[in-house]
Amino acid sequence: MNRTKWEPYVWLLPSILLVSIFVVFPIFIVFKLSFSEISKSGVVGDFIGFQNYVDAVHLPAFGIVMKNTFFWVISVVGISTILGFVIALVLNQKFRGRKIARSILILPWATSLVIQASVWNYIIKYEYGNLNNILLNLGIIKQAINWRSSYQIEFIWACAVGIFVTVPFVTFCILSGLQSIDPALYEAATVDGAGFWSKLKNVTVPLVKPALTVSTVLNIIYVFNSFPIIYTMTKGAPANKTDTMITYLYMLSFYERKKGPASALSVIGFLILCVCASIYMFGVMRKEESV
Amino acid sequence: MKKFLIMLLAAMMTFSLAACGGGSSGGGESSGGGEASGEPVELDVIICEYGPNTQNWFLGTGMDGSNFVDKFHEANPDVKLNLEVVSWNDVYTVVDTRIANNQAPDILNIDVFANYANDGLLMPVKDYCPEDLYNDFFPQFIEQSVIDGTVWAVPDLASARAMFYNVDMLKEVGVEPPKTWAELKEVSQKIKEHYNGEVYPWGIDMTTDEGQAAFAYYTWGNGGGFVDADGKWAVNSAENTEAIEFALGMINEGLTNPNPATETRYDLQDMFAAGKMAMLIAPNQLPTYVADKGGTINMATAGIPAAEGKTGSSVGVMDRVMAFKDDSAPDQAARNEAIGKFLKFFYDPENYVGWVSMEGFLPAVNSAVEALVASDESFSAWLDVLNTCQFYPTAMAEWDQVKQGVIKVEQDALAGGSVQEGLDALQAELTK
Repeated sequence: MNRTKWEPYVWLLPSILLVSIFVVFPIFIVFKLSFSEISKSGVVGDFIGFQNYVDAVHLPAFGIVMKNTFFWVISVVGISTILGFVIALVLNQKFRGRKIARSILILPWATSLVIQASVWNYIIKYEYGNLNNILLNLGIIKQAINWRSSYQIEFIWACAVGIFVTVPFVTFCILSGLQSIDPALYEAATVDGAGFWSKLKNVTVPLVKPALTVSTVLNIIYVFNSFPIIYTMTKGAPANKTDTMITYLYMLSFYERKKGPASALSVIGFLILCVCASIYMFGVMRKEESV
Repeated sequence: MKKFLIMLLAAMMTFSLAACGGGSSGGGESSGGGEASGEPVELDVIICEYGPNTQNWFLGTGMDGSNFVDKFHEANPDVKLNLEVVSWNDVYTVVDTRIANNQAPDILNIDVFANYANDGLLMPVKDYCPEDLYNDFFPQFIEQSVIDGTVWAVPDLASARAMFYNVDMLKEVGVEPPKTWAELKEVSQKIKEHYNGEVYPWGIDMTTDEGQAAFAYYTWGNGGGFVDADGKWAVNSAENTEAIEFALGMINEGLTNPNPATETRYDLQDMFAAGKMAMLIAPNQLPTYVADKGGTINMATAGIPAAEGKTGSSVGVMDRVMAFKDDSAPDQAARNEAIGKFLKFFYDPENYVGWVSMEGFLPAVNSAVEALVASDESFSAWLDVLNTCQFYPTAMAEWDQVKQGVIKVEQDALAGGSVQEGLDALQAELTK
């Protein structure tokens, strides 16, 4: 018997077991729950077909929650990718204190999201917030400003915190891509008379694309599933107007005790993510193949 | 040989992982009723974390160098407690997950009970609570846990709400504590003018955590409320709409804290402790809370202001202890007896008085009153308040929906929505 045939599977077995226990099995349970009647205290009852899905999409907050989720993912992933790209370009240059700058950049990413959100809550607090205090002390404003005067502004603050904590991840992904580019290519481009923008367009961007793909796909998944920032900063208030899908389904399940529709929403979210990630991956891969 | 060793190691890792995965399966099985083999009866107990000392009192060294569990085991060697202290933020998630996995605790301390009772998960109190203890509970508390004539839970403690005000501030402005809504508005305006907007005259919390309390304060003070005289849902009454619109008027006129949808009760209490808020409705623990924050506010209490010609009502909040059924326990009688022993030990004045006063709440049993009043004179006045206050209709199955529903109506109105339309929609949902 050829030992090498089955050997890889033995090595894979622990990972497969872990993924099965902690990923596949919970996904299976959520799918099952989404087709079952669930009581307010969590007792799982009979199979009821798509009723939970029908109830979920007819919830009054469903529309605004979907809109918020879309805005949240696009703004956080989009802006953090642009900022991350620019910062990565800067950090890829040789300058004094580069190591320190890189270390500082990792801090927002290394700190727990709940702590980040709580700290930002204090920073923008009307009464004793650091932002108001600094601006008042510097004489820039005469009176404290209510930084959370409407739910739209509160949601923008949550997005800003989301961007703040996501930028380091994007930066380091792209930085790793930049560092793998052979300097000879830039030298050749310079010899050919290429300027900064030309080198960026024709050398940097095409070669950093794999890193960009990885960071964007992972970010879409992380940001879509991100719970702590919005939950800590607004808890979806007022009346679910600042909820995204993930915080809303938690509120639905554990505050409103509508566990069936909450499970259905989880499955809807899972499918949306699968579709988004697949479209992006296929699109990018096809382009890469055709290059 | 080297390859063989590597394979062996991989196989061992796999088995150890599998063992980790399967090891917990026995933990969820019924723990009650091991006495058939002479072993102690095991009870899984979940206690809510009321404050920073709860964990230490039940499991650490907060009970005269010892803790509740150890002392219980000393007094009851035939019962073994697997007690867990869970924070209020997590307790619903923990309990619901355990129920969904058929691992409900034997004894649970929480605020709500109707969902568990309606799903047939709870045991009637009479099945396990010793009669002398049952008769010791305040009857008006027991009434709050009755569905179809059966008592499903016993109260563990309570708190009552009243209006607190900063005595020095009101004196400086030259106003008396308000009794009616008109007076509340007038006093608030004077405070606002006097302090040039530096002090919030009145505190309102319409957050996702406790917006239902705001609904109760104002609607009960206007002759409305969650239910009508027949005990049926009546959230969209004209009195309720008028009451919520009054509260919104206070907010819109700038007489309250600026962001009532996100500023919780604790934020308001912090503002009061820092001398940034003149008046608010708060529970009886506020003086302790302010002292813990290092505040030195000269405060006093008064009744919650009500509409002209209406009587204000204090809001009582009560938590409960309940026991879940466990059909797999081999000896049900022994399990019930063990649960009774837990309750007897917990409510024994020697233990209970220390716990209630440590947490800063009001007691639920008569036998604790004397000792508590002796230790703190203010208890006596609060117990009088408790006797006259109203409670949320938590025994009704739709309570969770109503609670979140009224909060959404308030928050929606804060964002410009209509109170009447919101309450009508909620009422329609409740009666369909």
